[in-house]
Amino acid sequence: MSTLLRHRNAPRLGTVAGFVLIAWLLPYTLGGYAIHVVDVALVFALLAIGMGLAMGIAGQINLAQIAFFGVSAYTTAILTTHNGLGFWPAAAVALLASALIGLLVGVPALRMQSHYLGIVTLGLALGFINWTTNAEIAGGAEGISAIPVPPMFGVDLSSEYLYYYLEVVVFALALAFALFVVRTGLGRRLMAMRDDPLAAGAVGAEIPLLRMTAFMLSSVFGGLAGVLYAGLIRYIAPDTFNIANMFLLLAMVVIGGRQSLVGCVVGAVGLTLIREQLVDYPTYAQLGFGIVVVLMVVFAPTGLAGVPTRLKALLDRRLGRTAERSVLREFRPYEAAGDQGVGDQGRETGDSRPMLEISGVAKQFRGLKALRDVSLTVERGEIRGIVGPNGSGKTTLFNIVSGFYRPSGGRVLIDGHVVSGSRPYRLSRHGLARTFQNLRLFGELSVRDNLLVALDRSRTYAIWKYALWPVGVWRQERRLHRQADDLLDRFGLTEFAAARPGSLPYGIQRRIEIARAMAGAPRLLLLDEPAAGLNGEEVRQLSEIVRSIRGSGVTVVLIEHNMGLVMSLCERVTVLANGSVIAEGTPAEVVADHAVIEAYLGDSAMADMPLPTTEVTS
Amino acid sequence: MQVFLQTLIGGLSLGAIYALVAMGFSLVYRTMGLVNFAHADVLMIGAYAASTFYMSTRLPFALAMVLAIAVTGLIGLFIERVLRPLENKDFTLMLIGTIGFGMVLQAVAVLIWGATGRAVRTPVGGAPLEFFGLRVRTYDLVVLAIAAAAVFLLVAFLQRTKMGAAMQAVAMDHEAATAVGIHVGRSNAIAFALGAGLAALAGGLVGPLLYVNPTMGGTIGIKGFAAAMLGGCGNIPGAIAGGFAIGVLDSFAAGHFQGYSELVVFLVFTVVIMIRPTGLFGETTVSRA
Repeated sequence: MSTLLRHRNAPRLGTVAGFVLIAWLLPYTLGGYAIHVVDVALVFALLAIGMGLAMGIAGQINLAQIAFFGVSAYTTAILTTHNGLGFWPAAAVALLASALIGLLVGVPALRMQSHYLGIVTLGLALGFINWTTNAEIAGGAEGISAIPVPPMFGVDLSSEYLYYYLEVVVFALALAFALFVVRTGLGRRLMAMRDDPLAAGAVGAEIPLLRMTAFMLSSVFGGLAGVLYAGLIRYIAPDTFNIANMFLLLAMVVIGGRQSLVGCVVGAVGLTLIREQLVDYPTYAQLGFGIVVVLMVVFAPTGLAGVPTRLKALLDRRLGRTAERSVLREFRPYEAAGDQGVGDQGRETGDSRPMLEISGVAKQFRGLKALRDVSLTVERGEIRGIVGPNGSGKTTLFNIVSGFYRPSGGRVLIDGHVVSGSRPYRLSRHGLARTFQNLRLFGELSVRDNLLVALDRSRTYAIWKYALWPVGVWRQERRLHRQADDLLDRFGLTEFAAARPGSLPYGIQRRIEIARAMAGAPRLLLLDEPAAGLNGEEVRQLSEIVRSIRGSGVTVVLIEHNMGLVMSLCERVTVLANGSVIAEGTPAEVVADHAVIEAYLGDSAMADMPLPTTEVTS
Repeated sequence: MQVFLQTLIGGLSLGAIYALVAMGFSLVYRTMGLVNFAHADVLMIGAYAASTFYMSTRLPFALAMVLAIAVTGLIGLFIERVLRPLENKDFTLMLIGTIGFGMVLQAVAVLIWGATGRAVRTPVGGAPLEFFGLRVRTYDLVVLAIAAAAVFLLVAFLQRTKMGAAMQAVAMDHEAATAVGIHVGRSNAIAFALGAGLAALAGGLVGPLLYVNPTMGGTIGIKGFAAAMLGGCGNIPGAIAGGFAIGVLDSFAAGHFQGYSELVVFLVFTVVIMIRPTGLFGETTVSRA
C-alpha cells in the first residue's frame, strides 16, 4: 500500500474531498438549462474516458466509440419501449451488448494497426449509423422516443438535478476504476503495448488479448455513457451518433490529452460547455475546434494534460536548471546458484537436455535466403557467443528463436520442447528473455514501470480480478513493487527509477534492458549486441553482469562484434556467414579457423585459393 | 444475367471515382507516410468549387474542373506545410491532425456555400446509350474516360519525369533521397498538391452523379480509403483495382440489401482486409524499419 501511495499521481485525500464537495454543491448554483448541459457533459466525459483508454493508453485507434455509445443507447431504448423491459434490466443488457460489439470491433485490431484500424473502425461506425437510419425497430430517422424514466427507490429521476447525482456517482466510480486500471498491472501492460508491441510481447504481454481488452474497456465506458444518455434525454435519434460527433469526441480527447484520463475528462467537459456557449454558431464552433485540434497536434501533442510538464521543462531550460547527474551504481551480483541452481534443475527434470537446440532452421524473405540449414546446440549454463559479419543472419536467428519470425524450415527446441512458431509471449512464459540490438524500451514509461511490466507474470485472463476482486490486484502490486525495488537496486538503477529511459545515457539504457530481461526470471537469455555503444568500463561491467547471470543458473546466448568480450566471456562461439554456420568451437579454435578468416577478411584476400561457390546474399 | 451486368456497369462509374480518391490517398501515403483523413473533405471542396465555376460562373465544365483542381491543389500545399513537422513521425498524430483539417474544411464549406446541398446539372445530356440491351449513361462514359486519362498522366509523371522519379525515391527512403540531394519537402508538397488535385477531380466528377453537400466527403472518402487499403496502401494499380472493387460491391449491395448497403459494404470490406491486411496487391509504403 505504501509503495502505491508513493505514486506521484496518487490522488490525495484532501483533493478528493474537495471534488466531492464541489460535485455535491454544484447543482445549487445552476439553473435548469445549465444543469442539463452539465448532465450531457458528464455523458461525454464517460465516452472520452473510454476513448482515452483505447487510444491514449493502449494505442489502439478507435473511431467507433460513438457506435459503442449508440449500441447501448439503442439497446436500452428498444428493450424498454419495444419489449417492455424495465429500465435497469434493459441497461444491463445494453452494457453487455456494447461490450460484445466492442469485442467484435476489436477483432480487426488483431491483424492491423494504426491507420488501417482507424479506417476499419470508422467504416464499422458508418455501418452502425446506416443500420439505425434504416432499421424499423430503431425507428429510422425519427428515432425512438418515450424511453421511461429510470426508477430509483422513489427518487424522481425525471428531475435533471436528481439525475445529476446519479450521473456524478456513476462517473466518479467509472473514473476511479479507469485510473485504477491505468496505474496497475493491466494499464502498464497496455501502455507497454502502445510504446512497443514487439518488446511487450517479448516480456510476456499477451498482445492479442490485450488489444481485445482495450476495445472492451473502451466499449464498456461507451455503453455506460449510452445508458445514462438514454435515461437522461429519453429520446434517441441517429443524428447523435454521426461521424461529426465522433470527430468532436476525438477533438475532446486530443485537446484534453489522450494519454491522461483526467485530461480526457477536462477536454470533454470543456468542449461540451464551449459548444453550448456557441450553440447558435455551430459552424464557427466546428471551425474553432478543427483549428485547435490542428494546432494541438503540431504544437502540443500531449494535449492540455501535458502542458504543465512541457512548461516546466521549458522553464528549467530557460533558467539553465539541469537535473543533477546521477551515476550508475555498481551491479550487485546474483547469488551464485552453483550446484543448487543448475544442478537441481538438471536433476529435477532428470536429464541433461540442452537448453537451446536449433536444428536445420532456414528463413527466407521472398528471394533473400537469410538463414539456411542452421543448427546449433547450447548446453545448460553455457555462455554462447554468436559472431559473424554484418548481414550474416545473427539477428534473424534471434528473431526466430524468440518467436518474432516463423522459420521457413527446421525447428527450435528450448529445454527439450519444440517452440518454433510460438508467439513471443508464450516463449517468455516458457523461460526465454531477450534484449534488442536497437534498444526497445517502453519510451513513455518510467524505468521502474519498464521493469514492472516484465516482473508481472500474471496471465491476461487474471484481469477478472479488476472487476471482482480488486484487493487481489492491490496485493499483487505491492509484491511487484517490492521486487522492482530489489531489481533496481541489483542493477544499480535505483536513482533512475522515475526517469524515462529516453532521457538517460545510452549505457544506462542498455543496462535497463538487461534488467528488464532478467525481471522475467528466464532460463535462457538472448543478448543482441549488448556491448554496442558502451565504453571500456561499461563493457567490463557488462561482462561481470553476464557472468553473474550465468552463475545464477541462466543460459546466455549473445551476439557480439566486440571480439575481446566474446573471447573472454564465451565458452563456445558459433560463427555465421551468409546465413550458414561456418564454424563452431572454443574462441581460440574459431579465430584460427580458415573459413572464419575468409568470411571476415573477404574473398579477395584469398583470391588465389579455390573457394566454395556461394551465392552472395548479404 | 441482364440484371447482373446492369448492376456491374452501374458500379463502374462510382468505382472510377473511388479509384481516383484512392490514388490521391495512396500517392500522399507512399510519398510521405501521411494518412490524410482530410482527403475526403478536400474532395468535397473540389466538388463545390467545380460546381460553382460551372453553374454560377457559367464556365465550361472542363475549365471549371481545371480551376477547381488548382484551388484544391493550393489547399493541399497549405495542409502539407502546416503538418510538415509531423511527417514520418507519429501516425496517430498525423491522422488526428488531418481529421482536424477535415473539420475546418467542412466548416469553411458551410460558411461559403451554406449547409444545404446542391444538385449539379450533367454536362453531357442525352439519352443513355444501349449496348446489347444494357443501358449506359453517357456521363458514366465521360467519368471513365477522364479517370483513365488521369491514371495515364499520373503514371507517366511518376515514371517519365525527373520530379516523378524523385518522388518515387522519397517514397522508398526519404533519408537516402535527402542524401542524394532531393528536396524532400518540395517533393512531399508536390505529392500533396497532386493528391488534392486528384481529390478535386473526383469531387468535380461525382458532383453530377450525387448531391453536393458539406458532409459528402464522409462516405465517399471512407470508401475511397477502403479502396486504397483493399488494393494495398500506396500501391497505384492496387488503388484502381480497389476502387472498382468497392464501386461494384457498392452497386451489388445496393441491389440486394437496399438501405443496408453501406453496412454490408463495410462488413465485407472488414472481412476481406482481415484476411489480407496488406491488401490484394501488397503495401508499398515508406520504409519504417
